[in-house]
Parts: sequence; structure tokens; C-alpha cells
Amino acid sequence: MHQVEATVNGATRRAEVSPETTLLSTLRDSWGLTGSKLGCDVGDCGACTVLVDGLSVNSCLLLAVQVNGREVVTIEGLGGFEYLHRLQTAFERLSSFQCGFCAPGMIISAKALLDENPAPTEPEIREALAGNLCRCTGYTKVIDAITEICRDRAVAVEAPA
Amino acid sequence: MVRSFEYVVPGSLDEALETMKEHAPHLKPLAGGTDLLVELKNNLNGPQVVMDLSGLPELRGVEETSAGLRIGAMVTHTEIEKDPLIAEHVPAMMAAAATIGGVQTRNMGTIGGNLVTAVPSLDSGPVLLALDAQVTVAAAGGKRQLPLTEFFVGPRQTALAPDELLVDILIPTVMLGRRASFRKFGLRKGQALALVNAAASVAVEGGRIAEARIALGAVSPTVIRAMSAERVVTGKQINDADALREAAEVAVTEAQPIDDFRASAAYRRELIAVGTFRVLEEALAQTTAA
Repeated sequence: MHQVEATVNGATRRAEVSPETTLLSTLRDSWGLTGSKLGCDVGDCGACTVLVDGLSVNSCLLLAVQVNGREVVTIEGLGGFEYLHRLQTAFERLSSFQCGFCAPGMIISAKALLDENPAPTEPEIREALAGNLCRCTGYTKVIDAITEICRDRAVAVEAPA
Repeated sequence: MVRSFEYVVPGSLDEALETMKEHAPHLKPLAGGTDLLVELKNNLNGPQVVMDLSGLPELRGVEETSAGLRIGAMVTHTEIEKDPLIAEHVPAMMAAAATIGGVQTRNMGTIGGNLVTAVPSLDSGPVLLALDAQVTVAAAGGKRQLPLTEFFVGPRQTALAPDELLVDILIPTVMLGRRASFRKFGLRKGQALALVNAAASVAVEGGRIAEARIALGAVSPTVIRAMSAERVVTGKQINDADALREAAEVAVTEAQPIDDFRASAAYRRELIAVGTFRVLEEALAQTTAA
């Protein structure tokens, strides 16, 4: 067994794991963070997307031991019952959730994009979400929500102080 | 459920190579994990030892050396997309890296890991072949360098001995700044495996093609050079479209595409011709600082 200690959503988390345990299993089963979903389990669907040291990765393809000493952000780190992240609010406002299974991964991928590029074009948004599949095929509303955030931000930047 | 294994994280290349010597062939190196984790999940007879390469500085970084541009095996596809030296000297590598998987896969997956899989459709292969890339492999007994053409032995087979590790990739100095182009044909834009991918590099002197390299992926047991097609265009004027068309037809005869569930061999032959023509045309259209 291996000891893993990582900063998860700003808090230190520890777990004792066998080497073959994925980060996704550890998030869900050891730490109770069930927002990240188990979809394909082979890195195609993106439902398990989390940020590790700021980069979006598929947590089903990382061993928990690999994040020892690193910083992990999951959907729970963006917002919760007390407040929602503006991406979550936009998804809610535009009904971008259908079954909702892909949404945590979609939102994490969108956050990774906006952290790097606050005003992406629609093709850039689509490219950034290419690794996130929606089984309801509800892509249009997802793109709409992210586009709306970028437009709001563009307006905010243009408005006089 | 994945069969368990021993997980080790060596802190230096020497330590890693000693570990490989001790445990080969029951050891698998772990780079980005985007292929290895899937393999571990699918394979009941997995490795006894998984060796995480993340602690080896020798496998990282992109740098100019007297021999050319050295790219560490652990450099990720995302790093290739953003690296200023690659942008300056071998921008076609960025084009190829951008077609690999989704963002998550590019953030994790490495160029060394991509090459070691040696799948015929690997996206980083054609540009590297078109630029005469060399690879350095190391074992506890020492290092050796070989051309990438010799590294690929067959489908999912490389020239690596069980105790050897891919350390870095070298683009020779003469190839830096050379006009080069990459095209990938898939069934969709995102996260697709190549039906055919193609790359070309050309050296132009006095309005003529002095040297050409054409490389094709997903059309043969390994990524291949289409050398007969290269000979067709060598010495021709850069605006000789007939020569490009002839090269495209010749390239088709150099490949052995297969029928599978993604595409028929006949369709792949069409794509080889179109791809060869376009990568030559695009490479010739570039202006070069060199």
C-alpha cells in the first residue's frame, strides 16, 4: 500500500491506496467526491475530468499514487450549496444539463480553457471540449453557456469603470 | 479491476535503467499513462512493476544542441503545441500534436509514449520521419542512437530491447526551419484515430525541389517513407503541379492499406493520394527563414 497526500480543492487529503487504484476511484470512494464521474474508464469520454496542477486530465487514467504532493481540483472545488461558480450558474440558466452526467467534466474543461484564455472564440471552445462526450448529444447548450460567460466578460471589460 | 503491481518512481535515469535491468521484461515504464492505464485495465497478465518516469529530468525539456533540436521523451503533446523552440524550428510538429486526442489526452500523453506504442496510425510519427528524426535509447549498459525509421519494427513493435528506455528525439540541425506540413484524415474532427496521416518536408534551391521527404501513417504495418514518390518530385520546379500529382499516385503504390471498420483500403488509397499532394503543396507554399 502507498500513502497519498494531495491538496484537493484547497484542503489536504490523505489516503492509503494500492498502486493500481486510479485517482478517480480515490476521489469517489476514499474522499467522497462523487462529482467526477466514471464513464468509459479508458480516457475517451472526459466525464472524470479534473485539474491536476491546473491542467485538465482524465482521472481514470491517472494512478492515485501519481498525484502525491500535487494539487487537484474537482467540480466540488468550483462551487457547492453555498455558492455556484459562474460556469455552473450559466449551465443552470441555459438548461445546459440534460442527464447531467457529462456536466462536471464539461465544466472542468471549460474552466481550464477560461483560466488560460478568458475570451475564447466558439471554435476554441469546441476544440477545448473535444475530449468531453455528452451521451444526450446536448452540445449546443453547453457551448451556449460558455459563450455567454465569455460575452458577459467581454461586456464587463468594455464597460467604463 | 486492474491486476496489482509494484509501483516505483526512480529519481534518476541511471536508477531507472538499473531498475529496468533488474525487472525486464516484467516492467512497464509509465509516461503519460494514456495508453498504459488502458492496457493495465484490459490485460490480466500485466507487468509486475510499473516504473513512473515523472522523476527523471533527463527525459524532459526541449533544447537546441550542436546536433539539432533535442526533445525529451516525456515532453507532452500540450508542451509541444506551446514550445517556442518547436514553433521556431519545427512548427509542423505543433500541427501534428494538436490533432492528438482531446485536451486531457494531450496534457497527459507524451511524445515518447506515442512513439513507443508504434501503432501504425500514431500522429507524431509522419512529421518526425519527414524530418529525419533520430531517437536515443538507453539501457544500463549504455546509450545508442538510431533513425526513427529503424525504431519502428512492426505494428506495436519497436527496436527497444526489454531493458531499454526511449530517452529523447533529435531533429537534426539541417532539418531545422525546413518547410514541412502535416495532414490527418479522420472520421471526425475531435479525438479521431487517423484513417491516413501524411507529412512532407522540402528543401528548395533556385526554384527547384532539392530534397523531399514524404511520410505516411495508418497505411502500412509501420509509419513509412514514400521514397519513390520523393524521387518523383526531387529536381522538379516548385510550381510543377503535375509532378505533385504523379508523386501522389506513386505514393499510393508504396503503401499497403487495409480494410477495417473505419475505412476500406480503397478509400485509404484515395486519401493517400490526396494527402500526399496536399502536404507537398502546403510545404512548398511556405516561406522559410532559413
